[in-house]
Amino acid sequence: MNQSAVLLEYVTRAYPGGVRAVDGVNLKIALGEWVALMGPSGSGKTTLLNLLDGLDRPTDGCVHVMGQNLLQLDVDEAATFRRENVGLIFQQFHLVSYLTAVENVMLAQYYHSMVDKQEALLALERVQLADRAHHLPSQLSGGEQQRVCIARALINDPKIILADEPTGNLDEDNADRVVKIFQRLHREGRTLVIATHDPDLGRLAQRIVCLRHGQIVEECSPDGSDAAPRATGAGASHDRDVMHVTAS
Amino acid sequence: MFFRMLIESFVRRRSRKLLAVAAVWIGLSLVIGLLALGLDVGDKLNREMRSFGANIQLQPAEAAVDVRVGGYELVAPGRTVYLDEADLPRLKQIFWRNNILAFAPRLTTQARLAGRSVPLVGTWFNHHVLLEDADPFVTGAAEVFPYWQARGAWPMNPESCLVGAALAQELDLGPGDRVELTTDQRSTSVRIVGVLTSGKDEDEAIVAPLSVVQRLAGLPGKVAEVQISALTTPENKLAERYGRDPQSLTPAEYERWVCTPYPGSVAADIQNAVPGSSARVVRRVAETQGAVLGRIDGLMLLLGIFVLIASTLSIMGVLSSAVLERRGEVALLQAVGAHRADVLRLFLTEAVAIGLAGGVLAALTGQVLGGWLLRVIFDSASEPHGVLLILAPLLGLLIAVAASVPPVWRTVHQQAARLLRGV
Ligand SMILES: Nc1ncnc2c1ncn2[C@@H]1O[C@H](COP(=O)(O)OP(=O)(O)O)[C@@H](O)[C@H]1O
Ligand SMILES: [Mg+2]
Repeated sequence: MNQSAVLLEYVTRAYPGGVRAVDGVNLKIALGEWVALMGPSGSGKTTLLNLLDGLDRPTDGCVHVMGQNLLQLDVDEAATFRRENVGLIFQQFHLVSYLTAVENVMLAQYYHSMVDKQEALLALERVQLADRAHHLPSQLSGGEQQRVCIARALINDPKIILADEPTGNLDEDNADRVVKIFQRLHREGRTLVIATHDPDLGRLAQRIVCLRHGQIVEECSPDGSDAAPRATGAGASHDRDVMHVTAS
Repeated sequence: MFFRMLIESFVRRRSRKLLAVAAVWIGLSLVIGLLALGLDVGDKLNREMRSFGANIQLQPAEAAVDVRVGGYELVAPGRTVYLDEADLPRLKQIFWRNNILAFAPRLTTQARLAGRSVPLVGTWFNHHVLLEDADPFVTGAAEVFPYWQARGAWPMNPESCLVGAALAQELDLGPGDRVELTTDQRSTSVRIVGVLTSGKDEDEAIVAPLSVVQRLAGLPGKVAEVQISALTTPENKLAERYGRDPQSLTPAEYERWVCTPYPGSVAADIQNAVPGSSARVVRRVAETQGAVLGRIDGLMLLLGIFVLIASTLSIMGVLSSAVLERRGEVALLQAVGAHRADVLRLFLTEAVAIGLAGGVLAALTGQVLGGWLLRVIFDSASEPHGVLLILAPLLGLLIAVAASVPPVWRTVHQQAARLLRGV
C-alpha cells in the first residue's frame, strides 16, 4: 500500500435514483504513474476523480489515496488532505471571478499555509502567464484560464494531480501547452490521473483505464462514441497497457 | 489574503454588493421611518388634541377658606373666593412645567351695556408670564381654546375687547365700535376689535383682557378659575387605582404614579403649587385623548410589525439569492482546501459589512422619511432619535447575517462535487 498513490477496492458510487456512476471499481495506481481515465461521457470519469479527491464519498468500497483512507475523514479533514496532497484541475477552470490570476493562485497558498506573491507569480511564469498575472478571469482566454487553474493546482507542490478533461475546452495550441506541462510534471515524478476523451492526451499516459457505465472495461472508445470501440493495443505509446479488471 | 478577498469581492463585484446594500437600505428605511413617526406621533397627536380645550381646571379650594375657629366659619358661606393672579407663574415652575402647554385665567362679572345686563368675561390674550430664570411664557385664551375664532383682531391692550358673535348680532356691534361698560363700582370705555365665535357661552358675552374685568369688578389681582392645557399620558390601571383610592398604592407604585404625567399627577402637582387652589381633571377631554392615543399607538405597532416582516423577507430574498449564486465559489474554496468555518467566516464578514452599511444609511434616510411624514401629517418638525441610529445598523446586521448564514451553512455541507459540476 505504501507503494501506491491510489488504491480503490470495490468502489461504488450510486446516486439516488439508482444510477451507479461508479460501479465496483478496483484500481491501483503507483506513485509517479501517469494514468489516463478514458471513456465516453457519462461513463463515470468525473465521479471517480471526485472520489479520489475526497469531495465525494463512495456508497460502497474503500478509497486510499497517498496512503490515507478517505472514508475516515470528515469534510474539513478531507479539505486539509486535499490542500496537503492534491492538485485539482477542472474542465471548467473554476476560477474566483473577482480575483486576478495571481490572486487565484494565492488563494490556494492561503488555505494551504502562507501567501507568497513572488512564488505565485513564479508559478504563473512557469505556465507562461507572467504578463497576465493581474488580469481577471473574464479578461483571459479559455487556455489562459486553464493555465491559471493549473498554476493554482501546482502551487502547493501536490504529490498527486487529478485533472478532469483539462484540454476539453481548449483549442489545439493551448491544449499543446497544457500537454507539455503534464509531461514536465510527469518527469518531476508526480502522480497524474487525467480524465479525458482526447485520444492524443490519452496516448501520452503510461496506462489507460477505460470506463464504461461506471465499470472498468478492457476496450476504450476514446472519441466518446459508444458505438465503435477500438482495440486498445493499437495505440502508439510504448509504455502503455490496459488495465484489466482484477480483484486485487 | 482574507481581507484581500473581502475587498476584491466588494470592489470588483460592486454592483452586486450595492444591490445588496440597497436592499437593506430601502427595506430598513421604511421600518425606521415608521418607527421615527411612531416615536413622535403620540406627542404630536397629544398636542394636536389640545384643540379639544383645557384638560385641567384650577379653582379656589372650598376647603382652603373653610377655616373654623371655635366652631365659627371665618368665611361666610356663599361668599365667592378667588385665586391670586400673582400665583399663576408657579404653573411654569412645577415639576411638570414642560407639560404645561398653555393656560388662561378667567374672571366673570355682569356689566351694563346699552341699558341691559351682559356677562363680562376677563381672560389673558397673548399674555407674557414672567419667569425667574427663563424667557417669558406667552399664553392666553387663544392658546388654551384653539377653537376660539376672532373675526377682526385679538385684544392687545386694556382699551380693547371682543364681543361674542350672538351679542354682536343682537346689539349690532362690530370691530371699531366703542362701548361703555358699567358695573356697580365703576365704568370704562373700550373699543371692540373683534367678534368672537367660541360655540359656548362667550358668544353671548363681552370678552376683555383680565385687567379690565378685575378693575370693573373691583377685584384687582383676582381670578375665579384657570383653564390649563397639559400634555398628559393616557391613564392606565395604576392611574385608575390611584383615582379610586390613593392609599391602595405601594410606595414604589406611588413613585411611579408621581413620575408619570397622568392627568391626575399633573393636576396634583399644580394644586400643590398654587395656594388655596383645587385642580380638577376635565375627564371628557382627557379620556378622549387617551382613547385616541391608545388606538393610534396600537395601529402604529401593528403597521410597524407588518412593515418589518415584509422588509425583512424582501431583504433576505435579495441577500440569500446573492449567496446562493456563489455556491460554486463555496465549493471551489472547499476544493482548494478551505474548511467550512473559513468559508462561513468570509461570507459572514461580507454580510456584516452589507448589513451595517445598509443599516447606517437606513438610519439616516429613515429618520428623514419619518420627519417628512410628520411634516406632511402634522405640519411640525421632528428631532432625530438616537435610539434609531443604533437600532437600524443593528437590524441591518441581524437581517443580513440571518439571510446569508443559513444558505452558506447548507452549501458547505452539500456535496461540493455536485456543486462543481454546476448542477
Ligand atoms: N448528482 C447526480 N445525481 C444523479 N446522477 C448523476 C449525478 N452526477 C452524475 N450523475 C450520473 O452519473 C453518471 C456518470 O457521470 P460523470 O461522472 O459525470 O461521467 P463523465 O465524467 O465520464 O462524463 C452519468 O450517468 C450522470 O448522469
Ligand atoms: Mg466529466
